[in-house]
Amino acid sequence: MSSFMPEILSPAGSLDKLKVAILYGANAVYVGGQKFGLRTAAENFTMDELREGVIFAHQRGAKVYVVLNSFLHDKDLTELPEFVEFLEQIKIDAVIVSDLGVIKTVRAHSNIDIHISTQASTLNVEAAKLWKKMGATRIVLGREVSVKEAGKIKREAGIEIEMFIHGSMCMAYSGNCVISNFTQGRDSNRGGCAHSCRFEYSLDMGLDTEEKKKAFFMSSKDLEGLRVLPEFIAEEIDSLKIEGRMKSHLYAGTMSKVYSEALNYYRDHGNFLSDKLTIWEEELSKVSHRAYTKASLLEPAGDESIFNERENHTANEWQMVGSVVEVSTQGGIIIEVRNAFNQGDYLEVIPFKGDAFPLKTLEIMDLSFRPVLRTKPSTLIRLPFHENVSVHNLVRARGTK
Amino acid sequence: MKYVSFASSIHDLGLLKEQNHDEVILSHRDFSRLGKLDDEGFISLSREAKKLGMRVVFEWDILMTENVFTLLASKIKTFDLHYDVLRVQDPGALEWSLHNTNKPLQFVAENANRNLEALKGWCDYIGSRLDRLVLSIELSKNTLSEFLTKLEVPCELLGLGRILLFYTPRNLLSALNEEEKLSYNQELFALGESEESPHKGFPIIENKHGTFMFHIKEFCLLEFREELKNMGLSHMRIDLRSEGLQFIKDLDNLKEVYPQDLMKGFFLVNKTDVLFPKLKNSRLQKREGNYLGEIIEVDKSNHLALLVKHPQGIRPGMDIKIIHPKGEEFFVKIHWLKNSSLNEVDHIEQNQLALIPYVGGVWVKSHLFIE
Repeated sequence: MSSFMPEILSPAGSLDKLKVAILYGANAVYVGGQKFGLRTAAENFTMDELREGVIFAHQRGAKVYVVLNSFLHDKDLTELPEFVEFLEQIKIDAVIVSDLGVIKTVRAHSNIDIHISTQASTLNVEAAKLWKKMGATRIVLGREVSVKEAGKIKREAGIEIEMFIHGSMCMAYSGNCVISNFTQGRDSNRGGCAHSCRFEYSLDMGLDTEEKKKAFFMSSKDLEGLRVLPEFIAEEIDSLKIEGRMKSHLYAGTMSKVYSEALNYYRDHGNFLSDKLTIWEEELSKVSHRAYTKASLLEPAGDESIFNERENHTANEWQMVGSVVEVSTQGGIIIEVRNAFNQGDYLEVIPFKGDAFPLKTLEIMDLSFRPVLRTKPSTLIRLPFHENVSVHNLVRARGTK
Repeated sequence: MKYVSFASSIHDLGLLKEQNHDEVILSHRDFSRLGKLDDEGFISLSREAKKLGMRVVFEWDILMTENVFTLLASKIKTFDLHYDVLRVQDPGALEWSLHNTNKPLQFVAENANRNLEALKGWCDYIGSRLDRLVLSIELSKNTLSEFLTKLEVPCELLGLGRILLFYTPRNLLSALNEEEKLSYNQELFALGESEESPHKGFPIIENKHGTFMFHIKEFCLLEFREELKNMGLSHMRIDLRSEGLQFIKDLDNLKEVYPQDLMKGFFLVNKTDVLFPKLKNSRLQKREGNYLGEIIEVDKSNHLALLVKHPQGIRPGMDIKIIHPKGEEFFVKIHWLKNSSLNEVDHIEQNQLALIPYVGGVWVKSHLFIE
């Protein structure tokens, strides 16, 4: 049995999602402050929320990394030192950066560990050595690197390696796409990406016919690396990252749970030869996603890695109907409803550990104990007490509308 | 200020020599994104350039995963005698070149590197081996002026040429054509039109290094040559690989005869971050200090429900301000406070559910602050 276990690193677009990711098994989360990150449209964290998030994480043995991976201009850099000093004061575990100017600023104002963002497209041993000399403690490799190559980079450069294992993918080398900049006036490398690669293009390929090919030719399938876990472990990849700070609580919770459970199983059994593998895959398929690909994890991504479809929901998709905000024997289970459901609908609770289980919806009440036949989003409802339900548990239903 | 350009034939070299260029960039097909020269072609053109007294720049600008890198690092040694300067973009190529060659280095800092600290950092790291920094076309005139004053190394900027929008190692055009797969060293070309943008005719090239998409207009700062020279720009790159090097003969009147539309990009001003505040509701971002929580349920005539976020919790008698997502503000006193069991209480702690009296006009997602 391997004693080496990678870290599962989950996205946390808000304080609430940070708690969900950690409670569902993430060993670390990455978060953004109000500035300096690439997810301008995400809720992101205030200073108070960062402080609370770090305390919450550290109390549970998890780490918090803060993204500073925007391509900062001089005017942005002037505001950075104060923020960096604050981050050190609240004891965040590392910052994620993509620019040498940011590295120098972080170094000058703190002793925080520095992770090189995938935005820097670090792809080979020599690049990793360079960033290590610049003060980096970890490299988040470009998604074009295979697990085997990553292992070599780790061994020869002598630095921690992080790789993406799951989530949406840029088709371009990260940091090397400026379509939004020049067509939408929004700097994609400062948080303004307009996802132009997901749109349909008509292509005149100079064929004999007048007909142009219509294609979503720049849209990548989503990465899914569950079955590649043995390779990640064999190459001793330090951290396995799940993309998606803009994604839902259900996504943050499910991904953290599936990948951490799979790793724990491997730790206990030394293999993944388990019926659980299909269950884990089923769980991954229940969350909104494009078709999955292993992209370049094993060999360079081929034609089959191109999504070439308009964005839509998959048939097997489940939706989060709400999250549990309070549980007591007297008051029952109080759920903040996100998507409507009816009395009698089949709901499932996703526990922090173990298999999802059904939740009866025969008796639904509002907060004032009045009966409810159909719930509405943005309301609180009560269901009868269930001893296995906890605060922050996610509740889902199939194809809720 | 000197001009620098690309050549792919002896004829090109002649044109450059006529214009008194003393340097030429040669693009080998294994090392350059858009390179076309094979080994023999590179070596013979390099010899011709040297005969003409030109300095040969070897362009190594592809990005490389480890397996490709290993192959190329061993191959580049065979060209040692055939170039004077190495131009690199991948930090791995830079690091390798520093330790495995003695050549002067030109570092392409067109990606990231939007701040002076970063550029100075590269200058410090590369030290005396740094021949030139290639700056980003996204830097505005004012920023360039400041950088060129403060950077004590020769700097180059694109003066004319295609704007690369997108670079992937994946083969995106041949993937659409089941019958005709790209063979080694072949190139596919298409013009793309996006459904989301009025722009039509993005040039797209697929070759052995992947797929590249360019802007429909080419970048042109020729009218600012004098200004850039006065700012301290040492080299302007004229990239005529799309339309042919013959246009280099008359840069003064190029705009009148050039077949492509031209643009200045962000040279006059770069406002690509001004839309960011509109990407989310700024009224709901100020959750610092006296932030009490967010309304998660409105039960008209009964209560407002919130999850308490303030470390000191909430008490009856507090004066609070409620900010509606649309910006309207409400100032109210909390006359009563109930827990989730609907019992009146005199304190509710952080991260617990609290009910307060209903306030007309307040919606879910309104934010509460202690006054």
